[in-house]
Amino acid sequence: MRSILDILIKHNHWFLFLLLEGISFVLVVFFNNYQRATIFTSANSIAGNIYSAITNVDSYFGLKSENEILVDHNKKLINDIEILKARLREYEDSASIANMQFTSQHNEGFYYNTAKVVNNSINKVNNYITIDKGTSQGVNSQMGVFNDQGVIGVTYTSSSNYTVVMPLLNSKSIISCKVKDKGLCTLKWDGMETRYSYLIDLPRYELFENGDTVVTSGFSSIFPAGIPLGRIDRLEDSADGQSYRARVELFVDFSDIDNVFVVGNSNREEQEELEEIFN
Amino acid sequence: MTSKTITRTRNFVLLTLAQVIIFSQIHLFGYATACIFTIFLLKLPRHTTQNETIIWGFLFGIITDIFCNTPGIHSAAATSMAFSRKYILAAFTHKGLPDDFIPGVKSLKWGGYIVYAIICIAIFYAVLFPLELFAIRHFTTLLISTSSSIALTMLFVIVAEFFSPNK
Repeated sequence: MRSILDILIKHNHWFLFLLLEGISFVLVVFFNNYQRATIFTSANSIAGNIYSAITNVDSYFGLKSENEILVDHNKKLINDIEILKARLREYEDSASIANMQFTSQHNEGFYYNTAKVVNNSINKVNNYITIDKGTSQGVNSQMGVFNDQGVIGVTYTSSSNYTVVMPLLNSKSIISCKVKDKGLCTLKWDGMETRYSYLIDLPRYELFENGDTVVTSGFSSIFPAGIPLGRIDRLEDSADGQSYRARVELFVDFSDIDNVFVVGNSNREEQEELEEIFN
Repeated sequence: MTSKTITRTRNFVLLTLAQVIIFSQIHLFGYATACIFTIFLLKLPRHTTQNETIIWGFLFGIITDIFCNTPGIHSAAATSMAFSRKYILAAFTHKGLPDDFIPGVKSLKWGGYIVYAIICIAIFYAVLFPLELFAIRHFTTLLISTSSSIALTMLFVIVAEFFSPNK
């Protein structure tokens, strides 16, 4: 008995090793269920602040290109305003203005917020992005994130001032979308190239073509409809041969994202509760 | 003892910051990522207790995990490497060495130190990448990532050796 105890005491580092490995594996396996445990992600305040400080210095180097993007964006917005003004004038005297107000009410549940990316990875199978807005600025989990190029991802977990976003470049990310003027589909990344993602389970009866634009469907309660995701680049048979699979060239350059928009839906809970009844 | 602890803590903080701010952001060709904190574990004196080595390994891993949003992955890998270090080092120890030597070029010669470092770092990445690519079966990606990361980290291990105060 005593000799067994001696051996155990002599090899106590085995227990420490097994304990720490155990903790690590628990973290690996249960990370999906750890949405509230922001301490283990870069949303925690120390990691977030360090990344903010680095980004502050880093952002000076990108000011020129960022300015060009802003100028372009402004130009586009001014053009859009002009087009909308013209359209409004057309409708002004007609009775259809009442119809417009009626249809536009559907989108009123969405509200927008801006944020800055403080950390970003693209080389992993499960990439994450950290942004500098959190619950105190009204950013929570399950909100849509996009920039002027297109959809970036969905917020994953938030601390009071930082949020971790699950981008399209994450093997766990699944986005409900539609091919413009055609059917609904699902976008999923295969963990390989950062420029491409895949539409899976495309029905065979629908005629998809190369060059078709993929946009958000608006059915998921996270994104409003019509935010661009990418363009179909190649069509192929799925592994089981039952449906099509399409390679989509993503509009967003994930290696270079700086300013993003976060979109929330004040009706989301209501919509999900309602849908929950049927599930 | 105290000055040793202070030096180690200082090295720990500096290496961790360098790791998360610089090295974790660099991905050569999209595959290779250097984990330079492994140098700290490689260079612990021979008679550092196993418990201390394992705890250092776990701390390096968990902090890198927090910054890289990879909970558990780096810590599992670094703990494994810290645990196996003693047994690998024993294979390279010979009688001419002082009792509590620091592994390096001076004690193990270039050949010995490089082989010792490669085996330790290979163990690190052999745990890291399979855990990271858990759900996905891309065997070639796994092989390319592992071998290129070992090579890149070894480059930094060798560079560090040129600047090391006690080779």
